[in-house]
Amino acid sequence: MIDWKLILEVIGMLIYATFMGFIFMGIERKAMARIQRRIGPPIYQPIIDTLKLLGKKESVTHGFIYDFGPVFALGASIAALLFIPIANFQLFSSNADLIVVAYLLEVPMLGIMLGAMSSGNPYSAVGVQRGLLTMVAMQLPYGLALIALIQHWGTFKLGEIVALQQVHGWSVTVPALLLALIVFDIVFQAMLGLEPFDIITAPAEISMGPMVEYGGKHAALLFTQHAVQLFAETAFFAVLFLGGASNLLELLVKQIAVLFIAIFVASIYPRFTIDQAAKFFWKWPTILGIIAVLLTV
Amino acid sequence: MSERKNDDFISYELQEFKLFEPLFKWARKKSLWIVAFCTGCGGIEMPPLATARYDFERFGIMPNPAPRMGDLFLITGYVTPKTLKRIIITYEMMQDPKYILIHGSCPINGGVYWDSYNVVKQFDKYLPVDVAIAGCMPRAEAVMDGIMEIMRKIESGEADGWKRYRENYEYYRKNQDELFGEGWREKDARRWLAWI
Amino acid sequence: MINELMVLLFAPLIAGIAAWAFDFRGVREAVGLTGALVPPILLAKAYPGILNQPLSYTLKVGGFNLSFQLNALNWYFAAIASLVGLAMALGMVSTSRSGYEWLFALMSYTGVLGVFISQDFVGFFLLWELMTFASFMMVLRNNRHESLKYFVLSIVGAYAMLLAIAILYTKTGALDFATIRQALYMDISIGAIGRGETILLFLLFLTAFGVKAGAVPLHVWAPGAYSEVNQSYTAFFSGALSKAGAYGFILIYILMGAKLYTELGTFHGHITFAYIMAWIGAVTVVVASFLAVLQEDIRKLFAYSSVGQVGYILLAFGVGTELGFAGGLFHVLSHAVFKGLFWLVTAAIILQTGKTKFKDMGGLAGKMPFTFAMGLIAVLSLAGIPPLAGFASKWLIYEAAISAHMPLVAGAIFLGSGLAFAYVVRFLYAVWFGQRPSDLDDVKEAPLPLLIAMAVLAIPNLLFGIAPGLVTEYLNKALGSSIVGGDYFKLVTKTGTYNALLVTIILVLGLAIAGLIYLYGAGVRRISVTNTYQSGNPVTEEFNLSIRKNFYRPLAEALDFWLKYSWDRFYERLAGIAEDFGDAVRQSFYNGNVQSYSWYLAIVLLILALWGVL
Repeated sequence: MIDWKLILEVIGMLIYATFMGFIFMGIERKAMARIQRRIGPPIYQPIIDTLKLLGKKESVTHGFIYDFGPVFALGASIAALLFIPIANFQLFSSNADLIVVAYLLEVPMLGIMLGAMSSGNPYSAVGVQRGLLTMVAMQLPYGLALIALIQHWGTFKLGEIVALQQVHGWSVTVPALLLALIVFDIVFQAMLGLEPFDIITAPAEISMGPMVEYGGKHAALLFTQHAVQLFAETAFFAVLFLGGASNLLELLVKQIAVLFIAIFVASIYPRFTIDQAAKFFWKWPTILGIIAVLLTV
Repeated sequence: MSERKNDDFISYELQEFKLFEPLFKWARKKSLWIVAFCTGCGGIEMPPLATARYDFERFGIMPNPAPRMGDLFLITGYVTPKTLKRIIITYEMMQDPKYILIHGSCPINGGVYWDSYNVVKQFDKYLPVDVAIAGCMPRAEAVMDGIMEIMRKIESGEADGWKRYRENYEYYRKNQDELFGEGWREKDARRWLAWI
Repeated sequence: MINELMVLLFAPLIAGIAAWAFDFRGVREAVGLTGALVPPILLAKAYPGILNQPLSYTLKVGGFNLSFQLNALNWYFAAIASLVGLAMALGMVSTSRSGYEWLFALMSYTGVLGVFISQDFVGFFLLWELMTFASFMMVLRNNRHESLKYFVLSIVGAYAMLLAIAILYTKTGALDFATIRQALYMDISIGAIGRGETILLFLLFLTAFGVKAGAVPLHVWAPGAYSEVNQSYTAFFSGALSKAGAYGFILIYILMGAKLYTELGTFHGHITFAYIMAWIGAVTVVVASFLAVLQEDIRKLFAYSSVGQVGYILLAFGVGTELGFAGGLFHVLSHAVFKGLFWLVTAAIILQTGKTKFKDMGGLAGKMPFTFAMGLIAVLSLAGIPPLAGFASKWLIYEAAISAHMPLVAGAIFLGSGLAFAYVVRFLYAVWFGQRPSDLDDVKEAPLPLLIAMAVLAIPNLLFGIAPGLVTEYLNKALGSSIVGGDYFKLVTKTGTYNALLVTIILVLGLAIAGLIYLYGAGVRRISVTNTYQSGNPVTEEFNLSIRKNFYRPLAEALDFWLKYSWDRFYERLAGIAEDFGDAVRQSFYNGNVQSYSWYLAIVLLILALWGVL
C-alpha cells in the first residue's frame, strides 16, 4: 500500500535538497568573492535571484520544445536525486544502481540542449556544440573512474557500496581508488560547469551559451535545476568515494569539502578552449584512469 | 498607425501575482541584474564598481550578458542614433519589470555635446527613465548613490518606467520613428548583411 | 499439406516475384504487403508452443537434405526480422516506385529468415547468398561504385565461409549443425583437427560474419551501401541483415565454442577467442562512432551509427558470460527497433524535402510534427535515456562487461555512449530546430503508410523500455538458465537492479513538479525566430541563424592526427593497385601487335611439339 513514511521522506528530501543546492550556489559566489578580496553577496542570494526571475510579469517562447526543455531538465535532476542514498535515507536507491544514476545525471544536459537548440540563436548553437563536446571528452575518464570503483567493491548498488565502505574504510584509502578519485575530481569540474571547463556557458564569449534566450520563469527553472543537480552530484561524489554518511550533517560536511576543492580550483584557472579540453581529457586523466582500472582488475 | 513588427508585446496581458507580490518586490530590489551593455564613455566607471573597492555584488547586482535575464539597463554616457537603435532592440527584449538608469548629463540634455549633429539630446523622449545621475562622468560613489535611489524607488513602487512605456507606447514609437525613419529595423539589418 | 515453416520462409519471395510480375501501382503494393505480413502472423501463431517443442522440416533438393528448425533462439531472431520487415514493407508502400525494388527487398527478407532458421550449412549458405545478392541488386540500382564495394567484400566473406564449410566437411564428414557440433566436441579428446586448423577456421568464420555485421576493418561497404538504397529498405538492411552477422557469431559459439576454448585457452582470466571478439566490437564502437560525429550527410551519419551499434552487440557476445549473451540479444532487439525507426524517419524527410545534406535542412519540427515525435523517441532510445528500450539493453551490457572484469572494453562503451549522444543531437538540431530555409516552407507531413510503419517500430521501443522483463524472461527460457531475475518491470542481476517502471514513475513525478513551477509563472507569448539576441543587432530572415555545416569542427581538430588514416582510402588504394596491375598485364599481352601474337603462336606450337602431341 502507500508508504506514507516514504512519501514524507521524499518531499522533505526534495525541499532540503533544493534549499541546500541554492546555499551551495551562494557559497560558490561568496567564496569566489572572498578570494578576490571583495565582500560578495549574502549566502542566500541565489534564492533571491530565483524568486525575482519567477516574479517576472511576462514570458516569451520559441515553441513547445523551448518550454519543455527546462521542465524536462528539472524533472530528470529530481529523478536522479531520488535514486541516490542520502545519509541514512534510502529513498529509492534499492531500485536503481550506479549506472542508472550516472545516466540520469547526464539527462538534464540533453533537456537544456533541446531547449537551447529550439530557440534558434547562433550563440545557443555554439553553446550546445561545446557542451556536447565537453561531455564526449569527459566520458572516457569518467567511465574509467566508475569502473575502477565498481570492480573494487564488486557491486553496482549504491546502498551496498556505502555499507561496504562503512566496514572496510572509505574508498580513498585504497591506492587504486585514490587514483580514481583524482580522475573523478577532474571530471567533476566539467560536470559542475566550473573553470577550467566552463566553456559551455563561457559568459563573456558567447553570452551565456545555451541559456541566452531564456528569461523569466524558464530561467528560474534552470536555476532550480542547477541547484538540485549540484546537490545530487556532490552527494554522489560523497557516497562513492567518501563513505556516504550516517546523518545529514556529516554528509553536509563532506559535500562542502568537495565543493570547496572545486571552488578553489575554479578560482585559479582560466578557461580551456574546447579542443584543448578534449586533448587534455584524453591524455593524463585517461592514463591515470587506465592505471586505476588495471590495478583493480 | 504603422505596423508593429516587434512581435506585439504591447497587447500582451501582464501577469499579476496577487499572493506573493511583496516578496517578489523585495526580491527584485535585492537582485538587480545589469544588462552587460556599456553604451558609452561612462562604461569606464563600471569596473571600479564591480571590483574589490566598491563591490556592488554585495547588493546582489550582477552583470549578465543575456538581456532576457536582465532587469537594469545602465545608459552610461552619450547616446548616438546608432547606439540608440541597439538600445531600443535590447530594451524590448528585456522582460517586465525593467528599469533604466542614466549616467551623466549627456542623456539628460545633451551635456558637452549639446550642439552635435550625432548625439541624442533628450533620451527621455525615446525610452522611459527611472533614475538620472548628473555628472560628467559621475564617480563610483555617485553611481552607488543612484543605485540606492533606484532600490528605494523599487520598494516604494515609484520605479514604473516599464509601465510608462506600455501606456505611452504611441508617443515613444512616434519619436523613435521620427528619428530613424519607418521600418528602421529591416533597413539596418540589410545594411549589415553584406559584412556577414 | 504444405508445412508452415515453408510457407513462412517462401511467402515473401513468392509475393516479391508476383509484385514484380504485376507491376501496377496498387497491385504490387498490396501483394508485397501481404507477403510481408505472412511471417509475423505465422510466428505469432507459433509462439505459445515454441518453447517446449521446436518445429522442424527437411527439404530434399538435388541430393542435399536442407533441414530447417524453429526453436526458441531462432524464433527470437526471426521475430525481430519479421517486425522490421513489416515496417519496411509499409514504408516502401510510400517510397518505392517500381516492382524491381519490391522483388529484391522481399527476396532478401526470405534470405534473412532462411539464414535464421536453417540447421545445416548448405541451406545456410544458399540463403545467405540469396540475401546478399538481393541487397546487392538493391544497391546496384542507385550507385555502381558502392554496389561494387559491397559486392567485393561480400564475396570475400562468402568464399571464406565456403572454405570453412569445406574444411569442416572433410574433417567431420557432415554438413548439418547437430552433427558438426557433436563431432567437434568429440574432437577435443581425439585431436584430429590441429591447433593451426582451428585458428584458421576461426579466422575464416570471423571474416565471413564480420563482413555482414560490419566489424572494423571490414566495415567500409556499410556507409555507401546504406546510403544509396531506398531508405525504407535500409531500415531492413541495417536492422535485420546486420543481425545475420551477429547470429553467425552465436553460431561460432554453438558449433566451435568448446573446441576453441581447449585449443586457444585463456588469457589473463578471459577466454581467448571471446576476448578477441570483444576487442573487435570495442574498436568498431569507438571508430564508427567518432566517424559518425563528423559526417555531413544524414544517411552516412546513420550508417556509421549502425556499424557502431552492431559493434556493441559483438562486444556483448565477446564478453562470454551468460549475462553478456542476454545483453547482446536484448541489444539485437533494441537496435533493430530504434535503428529501423531512424531510417524510416530519414526516408520520410528525404521523401518530403528531397534533401540529404544537413546544410539544406532546418526547422521542420513545426511542419512534420508526428515524424518529429517518432524521431525524438528514436533519439532517446539510441542515446540510452532511462525509460526506453535502448537503455535497458545498454545497462545489461555494462553489467556484463564490468562484472566479467573487462574494464578497457567497458570504457570503450562509455565513450561510445557519449559519442552517440553527440551525433544524435546533431541530427536533431540540423533537421528539426532552428531557422527554416525558404525552400522548405511548404513541406507537408509524411504519407500515412510511412507513419503507420514508424508507429509499428516505436511501440516496441516504449513497451520494452518500460517492461524490459518481458524480453529477459523470454531470453532466460531461450538460453536455458535464469540469467536475469526480477519481474516484468524490473531487471535484477547478481550485482545490480534496474526497476524500469519506478524510474518512469519518478521521472513523470519530477516532470509534474517542474510543470507546477512552470504553470505558476507568467503565461508565454510566441515570438518569431528573428526576435533573438544577436548583441542588439537587428536580424531578418535573410541572416543565417543556424550552424548546419561543420558542427563538430573542434572535434575534427582535436583528432586530426588519427583522421589522416582511413580504412576506406586503404581499400580504394588496394583496388586501384589491382586494377593497375590488371591493366598492365592486359596491355602488355594483348597489345595488338601482330609480331607478338605470332611469337605466342610459335612458342605454344614449340611446347606442344616438345611435349610430343604434334
